[in-house]
Amino acid sequence: MAGVLIIAFILMAQQANHALPPGFRLDEYRIERQLSLGGFSIVYLATDRSGQPVAIKEYLPNSLALRAEGEIKPSIAKEHMPAFRYGMKCFFEEGRALARLSHPNVIRVLNFFRANDTVYMVMEYEHGLTLQEVIKKNHPAITENFMRNVFTKLLNGLREVHSRKLLHLDLKPSNIYMRNEYTPVLIDFGAARQTLTSDSPILKPMYTPGFASPEHYHQRELLGPWSDIYSVGASMYACLAGTGPQAADSRQENDRLVPAMVRWERQYSDQLLETIDWCLCLNYLYRPQSAFALQKVLTEPVDRLKAETVEADTARKSWLGRVLGKLKGKVEPK
Amino acid sequence: MKFTIYQESRLGKRKNNEDRLAHCYSRDALLLVIADGMGGHYYGEIAAQIAVQCITESFQREANSKISDPLSFINRTMINAHRAIFDFASAHKLSDSPRTTCVACVIQDNIAYWAHVGDSRLYIIRGGKVLARTRDHSRVQLMIDHGMITPAQALSHPDRNKIYSCLGGLQDPKIELSRKTPLEVGDVMALCTDGLWGLFPDEMLAAALVRDNLMKAVPDLMEKAEASGGQNADNFSVIAVRWEDNYIEPESHGLSTIHTHTMPLGAFTTRLDQFGSNPKYKTELTDEEIERAIEEIRSAIQKYSK
Repeated sequence: MAGVLIIAFILMAQQANHALPPGFRLDEYRIERQLSLGGFSIVYLATDRSGQPVAIKEYLPNSLALRAEGEIKPSIAKEHMPAFRYGMKCFFEEGRALARLSHPNVIRVLNFFRANDTVYMVMEYEHGLTLQEVIKKNHPAITENFMRNVFTKLLNGLREVHSRKLLHLDLKPSNIYMRNEYTPVLIDFGAARQTLTSDSPILKPMYTPGFASPEHYHQRELLGPWSDIYSVGASMYACLAGTGPQAADSRQENDRLVPAMVRWERQYSDQLLETIDWCLCLNYLYRPQSAFALQKVLTEPVDRLKAETVEADTARKSWLGRVLGKLKGKVEPK
Repeated sequence: MKFTIYQESRLGKRKNNEDRLAHCYSRDALLLVIADGMGGHYYGEIAAQIAVQCITESFQREANSKISDPLSFINRTMINAHRAIFDFASAHKLSDSPRTTCVACVIQDNIAYWAHVGDSRLYIIRGGKVLARTRDHSRVQLMIDHGMITPAQALSHPDRNKIYSCLGGLQDPKIELSRKTPLEVGDVMALCTDGLWGLFPDEMLAAALVRDNLMKAVPDLMEKAEASGGQNADNFSVIAVRWEDNYIEPESHGLSTIHTHTMPLGAFTTRLDQFGSNPKYKTELTDEEIERAIEEIRSAIQKYSK
């Protein structure tokens, strides 16, 4: 019956795509190996004519296009062609946005081309680790200086992104590359300006539980810079905790997230911990409203000594006071 | 039966087409159905597709060249469609059921029978005048009935999209059945969604559709709608039928007139676009657009890499 037919269409089995083989000549590049495999794309490490390493992202949504083992061109069912092309449009959006961005804290696009019935984006290949790997390696020895330094720079990149009227929407430690240990670079804008949600039931919006804001789940019309700010807050929290915070949708039902201010009291400055909690407010209106506002707080001079020696009671009192102040809409200057 | 039929749906300025339409005829019966998935709800277009498909398939099963009781047939299939949508919602654990409007019409023995829920409409036009029209199950229609607003005010009323009966959702639909309406040669029946009727007063629609050649008149009307829809134009769709029993004008529209008396008993002709297959339902990229997008990105890379 009618209903059954449609259900089958939407619940199409998700199959894994096979990557292009090492040594494959793709346009002017040579594929070295696969770096990652996502629902929408495959990222390869490749070398260009002069032997320089580059990262190549191949548009290949696995719900619509399937590449069997040993094949080069993916097979796309005729009925999926409109959706495949539609998703390609979003891939172009990512390319367009990144091509116009030239910023040390944002990944650079080097080339864009069409081959094998799909499209490819060539990006700088960053040597180094993702912030995720850095956290794993160093936890729990992440210092306050590292936090302020890395996130202030990261916010430089994010400000640039927001100033192009673009949202990243999938910020998390594994999407932040650490060039030379200290310079963060924003990568993977695959979720940026996620227009797929409302249009196409088979191309689901992307987000990562723990790092996605509450708006990501239920109120996508409320997405804004403050949604990326939530993810920045969650990433900061993850730096200290080693893992991401409780997912926002489950927090909305039963908030079991221990505030940074309580969890790491006296290990970091109150001001830093308060800032993390501020970013992680469930109500988007209570968060810093722009990357700049958050950056300002992170670069404010803080009397570390005073912050560390202050009595626990007063600290809690002042933290409570500030939260209450925020609720009333007045933030006291420190 | 002899008739001319024209069916078309357009995107307007929306990203997605949530209108679905179909017609289907056997030797002695013609079915017309149109549904407009409700945008505020999840999967509106799926509700519309289920409704149209459900009703069309029932027609194909039951029209033993004729439908035995057209009004009860339409009523029953609409309720079935409503349940199918509801089943879809529960099978997928959707927090809310998708919803759709629906108008369906059966014509046989030169008599039209129809039923509707929501604010998609059926018009019968005779001699350039509106002979009959469905009354929307909408809040603004109630307000007009109570004399609170005029029809002109309704077009821009903030509640103009609120309807109180639809297929899908928790409440059972209030299906409004028509009377039996005998048709005459030259009568035009038009089923359309609010994206179309919202743009033109009834008299204008009637005047546009009364022209001799339906195959020209309706596309012209669609063009006009496209032009006057504005920045945020809704999807708009129409199925128009000109009834021409015993009457053919060989010059103007003879070629496109459908004669069903030559059809074998038990045969059907259906036009119903498959889900997602009509390119108009999606903003699709052409090869040229892909090349242009790549070129644009490459030149941006050149420009910004210094």
